[in-house]
This record gives sequence, C-alpha cells and structure tokens, in this order.
Amino acid sequence: MPAPLINQILDLAPNAVVSMDESGRVTYWNPRAEEMFGVSSDDALGNRVAELIVPERFRAAHAAAVDLFLANGTGPLIGRKVELEALRSDGTEFPVELTLSAVRDGDRWMFHAFVADISGRRETEQQRDLLVDELRVALQDSERRFQAVVGSFSDPVTIRDRQDRIVYANRAALQTLGFESVQQLRETPPADIMADYIVSGDDGRPVAMEDIPSVRILGGQRAEPLLIRTINRQTGAQRWQLLKSAPLLDSDREIEATITVIEDVTEQKRAERQNAFLADVSAALASSLDYEQTLRNVAQLAVPDVVDWCAVDLRDEDGDRRPVAVAHADPEQLKLAEELRNYEEIRLNPNEGIGLVFRTGQSVLYPAILDEMLVRLAADQHHLDLLREVGMRSVAVVPMTVGNRILGAMTLVNAESGRTLDDFDLRLAQQVADRAAVAIENARLYSERSSIAHTLQQSLLPEQLPQIPGFELASVYIPAFESTEVGGDFYDVWELEDGWMLMIGDVTGKGIEAAALTSLVRHTMRAASEFESSPAELLARVDSILKKQRARSICTALCMRLFEDRALLAAGGHPLPLHVSSRGVNRVGEHGPLLGGFSDVSWEDTTVEFEPDSIVVAYTDGVTDAIGADGTRYGLQRLCDTLAQFRGRSATAVIEGLTVALGEFQIGTHADDTAALVLRRRGTRTREREGHEASAAENLTVTE
Amino acid sequence: MVRPTNFEIREEATEPVLVLTVTGELDMNTVEQLATQVEERLAAGPRPLTLNLAELAFMDSSGLRLLIDLYDRSQRESWKLTIVAPRSEAATMVLRATGADTALPFESDGSA
Repeated sequence: MPAPLINQILDLAPNAVVSMDESGRVTYWNPRAEEMFGVSSDDALGNRVAELIVPERFRAAHAAAVDLFLANGTGPLIGRKVELEALRSDGTEFPVELTLSAVRDGDRWMFHAFVADISGRRETEQQRDLLVDELRVALQDSERRFQAVVGSFSDPVTIRDRQDRIVYANRAALQTLGFESVQQLRETPPADIMADYIVSGDDGRPVAMEDIPSVRILGGQRAEPLLIRTINRQTGAQRWQLLKSAPLLDSDREIEATITVIEDVTEQKRAERQNAFLADVSAALASSLDYEQTLRNVAQLAVPDVVDWCAVDLRDEDGDRRPVAVAHADPEQLKLAEELRNYEEIRLNPNEGIGLVFRTGQSVLYPAILDEMLVRLAADQHHLDLLREVGMRSVAVVPMTVGNRILGAMTLVNAESGRTLDDFDLRLAQQVADRAAVAIENARLYSERSSIAHTLQQSLLPEQLPQIPGFELASVYIPAFESTEVGGDFYDVWELEDGWMLMIGDVTGKGIEAAALTSLVRHTMRAASEFESSPAELLARVDSILKKQRARSICTALCMRLFEDRALLAAGGHPLPLHVSSRGVNRVGEHGPLLGGFSDVSWEDTTVEFEPDSIVVAYTDGVTDAIGADGTRYGLQRLCDTLAQFRGRSATAVIEGLTVALGEFQIGTHADDTAALVLRRRGTRTREREGHEASAAENLTVTE
Repeated sequence: MVRPTNFEIREEATEPVLVLTVTGELDMNTVEQLATQVEERLAAGPRPLTLNLAELAFMDSSGLRLLIDLYDRSQRESWKLTIVAPRSEAATMVLRATGADTALPFESDGSA
C-alpha cells in the first residue's frame, strides 16, 4: 500500500491509479478512478478489480494472468503499456491504456495499474505528465518499484544528477542513444553523445543549452516541454522529440536530480509539416496560370524546411529536359547550381536520374550518394570539385505525370543539412509533383483554349479596316478579361456598288454558339446588302433568319449605310451611335427592336448628315456597362464627356482616348467584351454643308 | 469579376402566383442566381410568375436575355408571366433600346 504522501500525489494524478493485492482486491482507488469507472473509492476498496472494471468476457483471462504471475513471477502485462477495454459501473465499455507494475511488498505481491482513458485520445499529453508524476512517486517509493515502472516504459527516460551527468537511463533510452548499458552511457561525456547529432529547435534554429528543460530545472527555473529536431550525423535520420523534465527532490526538498522523458513525436511532426507544406503548395499552384512561375514558387517553398535543394525540369516533346526552377535557401549555393548547369546535358542519360524518370515515369530514390557515384558522373576534375562541394547526401527524382504523359520531374536533394531522404519524403514529393502536374496541364489547356478563342475571334472581325474615301475609320475590340471563350461583340465594314456599309452588333452569349451566330449575322447582312439598300430592311432580313434558327438566337445590331456626306442608319436593340460635331455630342438614330427576339416588329431608317471633321462613334454595351473601381457604371454621360474632349481629332486618336479612359475607369478587368467603331468625315475646303444639323439628331440628355 | 452588389431576390408565395422581387443590379454576375431560383421554383410545375423589378438599380443585356427566355417559356408552357417594370433609368435603358419595353408583358406597379 502506498505511503500517505504518495497517496496525496496520486490523488492529484490526472489518470486513474488502481492498486490490488494478490487476491485481486482493491487496496487503493484514486479520485480519477472514481470518475473514470463511476465507482467511489469506498465502494471499490476490498472488492475484486475484475468485477469492477474488467469486462465479463476478459475476466477468465484476467484471473489466469494473475495466477500465472503469482506462480512464475512474470506475466504478459507487467511493465508494459497496453491498450484494453475497460468497464464502467453503468455497463458501458471504453478503451484505456494501462501500465501495470508488480511490486514485492514483504512476502506478497502488490499490483499497481495506471489507467488512461484513451477514448478521446486527449490522453497523450496527460500520459506524459502522469508518467513524470509516476516516476517521482516511484522513486520516492522504492528502487524496485521504480525499476518496475520505468525500466519497461517504452519512451526513453533519463535521470541526470546536479552535475548534468546521466545517472540512469531505461532500456528505451539506451536503445535510442545507441548504448549497451547504463555504465557505458555514464562513462561517455554528454558532449560526445550530442556530437553524434545535429540538434535544432522545431524552427531549425540551434538550441541553446539554457533552453534544455533539465538544465533549466537545475538552474531553478520552470521548464516547459521543449520540441527538438535531431539529425543523426551518421545515418541522416531525422527525428522530432519532445523533452519533458521534472525535478527529483531529496528529503530536504532540494533538487537532487532531474528526470527527463523523451517522447518521440516524429510521426506527428512529419504529418503536420507535410500537411502545412501541401497546403502552401496548393495555394501557390492555384495562384496563377503562369505555371513556370508557380513551379519556381513551389520549389522555393520546399527549401530549406522540407529539403535542401529542389529543382523542377519540364520534359519537351522530344523527351529532353527544360530546366525551370532550382531553389536553395542560400544564394551562394545557387551560384554553384549555375556553374553545374554548364555541365548538364540536355540529352539525358536514360538510365540515370531525370533521364530514367522521363523514360519510365517512375520515381527514383538514391538514399546515399557515394563519392564513387560522383566520380563516375563527373565530366572533368572541375565538375567533380563542384559536385563534391554541393555535398549531396541523398537525391530523389519524382515524375510529374498526367494520365500516362510525363510532363516533367521534380528533383529533391539533401546535402549540408545532413538529412537523408526516405520513403516518406518520396511520397510527399510525389504528392507535390502530382499537384504540380495538374496545374501545368490546366495552364496549358487554358492557354490553348485562349489562343483558339483568340484565333476564332480574329476570324469574326475584319482583318483590317478598309479605306473609305473621304473618311477615316478606326476600331477597337477588347475581349472580356482572361476570357477563353469567343465573345459576342462583332463589327464589319464592306463596300457596296454605291457606297459603304458599316455594322456593329452583339450576340448575347459566348463561345462556339456565339461564334456561329456572329458568323450567320455577318454573312446574312453582307449577302442581303447586295440587293437590299435600306439598313432597316437588312435588319428585318437578319431578324427573320434568326427566328428560323432552332435555338433561340437573338442579337443587337446597328447598321449604317454610308454616302459621301451622310448616312442612313437603323438600330436593332443596339445602343444608338454618338455624333460628335460642332453641336456637341448627340445620340443619332431611333431605337428599334432587338433582332430575333420579338414578333411583329419593324425598323426605320434615319438620316444623319456629317459636317466635315464630325465623328460618329458606334459601340457595344461593354463600354457603358463597364464597372469602375467605385462600383459605378461607365455610363452614357461619361462616354459623352470623354468623346467631347476628342472633338476634331483623328478617328485613331478617339479610339485610343476611349480605350485609355475605359482602362483607367475599370477595376483592371473587362468584365464583358467591348467593341467600338469610330468614323470621321475628313475636313474639306468647301464646307458647304457646315451648319446643317443632322436631321434626326436628338439633343442628348442623360440621367443616371 | 466579382464585386459587392446589393443584389437580392425576395420571394413571396401568394398562391398560386409566385412573386420574386429583385433588387440591386441584374447583370452577368447576378443573372445566373435569378435563373436558378426561377428554375427551381418552376421545376414542380407551371405556375403564374411575377417578376417585380420596380426597385432594380441596373440591368444589362444578359438580364434582358433571361426575361426573353422566361417569356418564351411561359408561352410554350402556357403560364402567365408578369414583369413589373423597373423605375430607374439605368435599368430601363436596355428595355427601351431593344424594344423589350413593348414586347414583353410589362405591368406598371402603379407608382411609376
């Protein structure tokens, strides 16, 4: 039975502590056990442990194990940490982690069980705290009991005296540090043990002696658990360990020694870092369609946390490499890479490194790079010197593939950090490479689609505007921002027997359908203009053709038949053109219905007369609907104000002025396609028509 | 391009007529929202629909396109579409410019 002081400590323990005698009856039951099993200490004491907390189906095995131990002095559970099912007083079962020790008490055995409820898996931290508590208790209790509990504990445990010499290490600690016995460990100076490892904090910065928990405790300070990263200089193995220390007090309550539990958290840390890294990679890959830049960003993200060097090569159509990125945290080292590049063959050795990966699509791992490999690889002495200077320790090359196409390879190199690469790194690299491959493929598809759209769009617009005697003509077409689709705006200018025809329009919709519709409207209009001279009649012709289409086909169009000094125009659902003359900026023409949209509709021609130097601006709603940085629309009033500034200027100057004004107004993107066509009547010496006003011009009043 | 807009669709189910009151800007960024909502409500079967656009601040050609499509559909499926005309100039412009103001089944909300 534990002494009263120990009872007090155990009463505070975060885990259940249950002691039992040889007959299997409870001799101690701490408050946490009361909570965990739903049985008060009073009810538990003297009763059989098996009946209180062991599920019925395990009771026979439990009894047999106790008997076996009593007969042989050994048992399967003693001194080990095991996971079992336990029983609550309400009959429910829950998973527990149990550490059982057997201690000789006079001529009888006493069993102590430390039980953690692991149903929430929140116990990990508490378990370590408890262990430190346990150890303190155990040490104060008896050497035997200490050995029973700690000796078989799976985490490394060390005890250092006031001079920071290791005076005790359990089996796990000996194994971790690579020693045969405590004696051997004691005789080795701590500095020599440390020399085998590269030790840093989790952030990669060196760990100062005064940060080590046991050192802090000896200095009389509080010690929070410390997370360290160690790299074994010999094997290159990288591990993360959480050091937890507590003071051991002598009878005068002076610090006699420190006990340290080393929890290996390598798996958790690696998973944590992997997730964080992959999240960064995904964000970087999604950030832009410039995939070469994003690949450079990804390579940069990998160094130096994940790996010392990261390089990306793309594979061209001939299977040759195209280096895209080389990253290292130290710019000096990058100069080395630059020099090495002179030696790199574009034609790859198909049985080695990147060449092998390009050929097979399988990743390769060279866990240890030996000097003889460098000698074999080197083209000359200088090359060999460079390779040796890089100090490659291990190398991995993973393919970037989409389907069965190999787009490139990602190369990881560990060098000066002393880390080696293992299967875990290879899997991580492959996940990054897979994501990168998808990003490359998407970017390529996008740019292909963009260029197809661009080509198709070009085919729908006149290659170049014709020269119209007596007039100047200029146009602009701005596709919607980052569009991969053909837009709906179009314009056309063509010559007739007795004049010229100008047209601008907008088919609602995008993509192939819009392209087909645009094509239909343009060709109908051109063909009909051979025998139909009235713009209103042309619109009617297009309207009737559109209504015959199987899919709903609607479009707006403005049609203008140009004579020497005047024009006939008709609008089908299209914004009216603006006439910039000595009378200011005015809308000209009459609104007419949309083409293909409504039944029983007709259009009317309006005559506009052009004074010399006057300008007509026809545009699509992409101009007036453009959204500015403050959320307002560009609108008709702004358009008129802008055009007024360009009165008397050349058609090209007007288009340029309008494009600049729109660009400055918009948030930086053209949400919709935007098109404008500017026609200017050249000035003449005989200004006989000056002063005549266009008959159908209306004075512009715009309210917005 | 996304920008903050006060686009909103309020729904009143005054059986059998479904009334959708649309406010804010009906443009290429928001039109899909209205189209989807109408589609969902009509999926159960044809019923009279009133689109109240009186408070609409702006409409572009994509908004108009939706109105035309809905009108076509109401003719085909024989249900009654009523559109309450917008009052703001910015929302009316596209209707006047395209002849939709006379071709579509508009109804004044009485305050215009």
